[in-house]
Amino acid sequence: MASSDAALILPPGGVERGIGRSGRDFVSMVRWHLASLRMWLVTIVIVQALSGVGFVLGISLFFHRIPQSAALFVTTGVPVINLLIVGLVLGPQLVANQRTAGSYEYLQTLPVSRSVTAAAWYTVCLLCGLPAVVVSLVVGQLRYDLPLHISLMIVPAVLLTSFAGTMLGYALAHAITRPMVTLLITQMLIFIVFGFAPILFPLQRMPAWLADVNWWFPFRHMAVVMRAALTSGPNPGVSTAYAVIGVWTVVAAALAGWMLGRRP
Amino acid sequence: MSAVITGTGRRDDLLPSGSELRSGFPYWMDSLRSMLRYDWGGMRPWVGMMVVIQTMMGAGMVLMYGFFYPQITTTTALYIATGAPTLALIPLGFVMVPNAVMMDKLHGTFDYVWSMPVPRSAHAVSTFSLFTVLAVPGMVLALLVAIWRYGIHLSLSPVLIPAVLLCALMSVTVGYALALAVKNPLVTNVIVNALIFVVLLFSPIVYPASQLPGWLYDVHRVLPFESMATVMRAGLTTGLATDVGLSFLVLGVWAAAGCAVTAWVVGRRA
Repeated sequence: MASSDAALILPPGGVERGIGRSGRDFVSMVRWHLASLRMWLVTIVIVQALSGVGFVLGISLFFHRIPQSAALFVTTGVPVINLLIVGLVLGPQLVANQRTAGSYEYLQTLPVSRSVTAAAWYTVCLLCGLPAVVVSLVVGQLRYDLPLHISLMIVPAVLLTSFAGTMLGYALAHAITRPMVTLLITQMLIFIVFGFAPILFPLQRMPAWLADVNWWFPFRHMAVVMRAALTSGPNPGVSTAYAVIGVWTVVAAALAGWMLGRRP
Repeated sequence: MSAVITGTGRRDDLLPSGSELRSGFPYWMDSLRSMLRYDWGGMRPWVGMMVVIQTMMGAGMVLMYGFFYPQITTTTALYIATGAPTLALIPLGFVMVPNAVMMDKLHGTFDYVWSMPVPRSAHAVSTFSLFTVLAVPGMVLALLVAIWRYGIHLSLSPVLIPAVLLCALMSVTVGYALALAVKNPLVTNVIVNALIFVVLLFSPIVYPASQLPGWLYDVHRVLPFESMATVMRAGLTTGLATDVGLSFLVLGVWAAAGCAVTAWVVGRRA
């Protein structure tokens, strides 16, 4: 009697493991994320592209005649912001919404490994950011006739920048339990990314102490690796930049993993 | 049973005590005083945070715009610094006020307030005056940060007082009317966010309007943002601002429009 009860409780087919299972889970989680964003998906992509183009074009209004260096900096900096916004800003806000709506706990109960869920979310963030990156670059090139020189290093630069941003957002989202705090931090992050990290303008324009502070944060380095991949010429500090972003990514992923793996 | 209710003896009990309906200017002023106390009571916990956010936004943007220029000439610095009060005002008028109105709508505060025996105009006027006064500290602090950062000298003129008051009143009334007139909070949210982005990038607040392409220049003759910066500049410097009279007129029209829309929505019986 007791043994047949246990058989009823067990899911049919037994527990499956291995790469095939992970692959199928990954596909279903990507579909889950895309479906839960649904109509937002198009809005996000359009808003991202518009804000990117807006920044690329708007910056020229600040000058009588915009110097090419300024145009180049903004055009090569905007892709970093495009890649960051979804993972770093929108992601935590979505999770904060899930917490208030109660779907957060539901998602945790799904029989899918946490790392597969994270990988699926990263893929979605990347997909949301890429169109805006392309559009901003094309518009910048058409408007300012920039000496862009896109090398193969663009692949690791884009992948790592997006991954680091997504993981940072993931850690924020899961480490902070109060939705209001998440909202406040992400708003601050937008402000910092646009104005107080040397992404859209050269480092030398900042006060030295602020530049030093920025060395410890990943945003400055993301701009370095992106710029190195988009322009020719000497780009000092690219390997350091990759290293710093890598460390941030690992720390953020570990933090997110720890928060998710903990039993409350 | 019904005879008891319709019976003449019960009518007097249903009338509010104090018998006659009151109206007239003294009563309106009295209501305004009560509504000021009511609004202030609701706002008090947020006031500190509002001033801090406003100052941080204003001061933050002042510092941030500076990073975008390869060299900051005296003129550039003067433009950025005199744009500071306007930059501090826009988040208040076009983000915080609409958000406050949206929250009040969601909580049903308007229904509650409008059910009180107080003229609805008194409530609107009290909200406008409180937010207008609240806008001033953030503007001043943002300006002080700008002066400190760029080390410029300003020459204040009496025009500054009407300029500050009109700018604050205009942004509060327009923000209030916008949030009140648009039914769906989501739409208000989208408008507000798009507005902030457009204003901060494409409005000649921290740079001269002559740098704009022709069509955008014309658009900004009608929109209030350039006019805000112009009248503020007229009060803070000599010779930098032109067409100040026209700018005052534009702001006046926008403020009047904000008041009119508010009056229409508030006065309408749903």
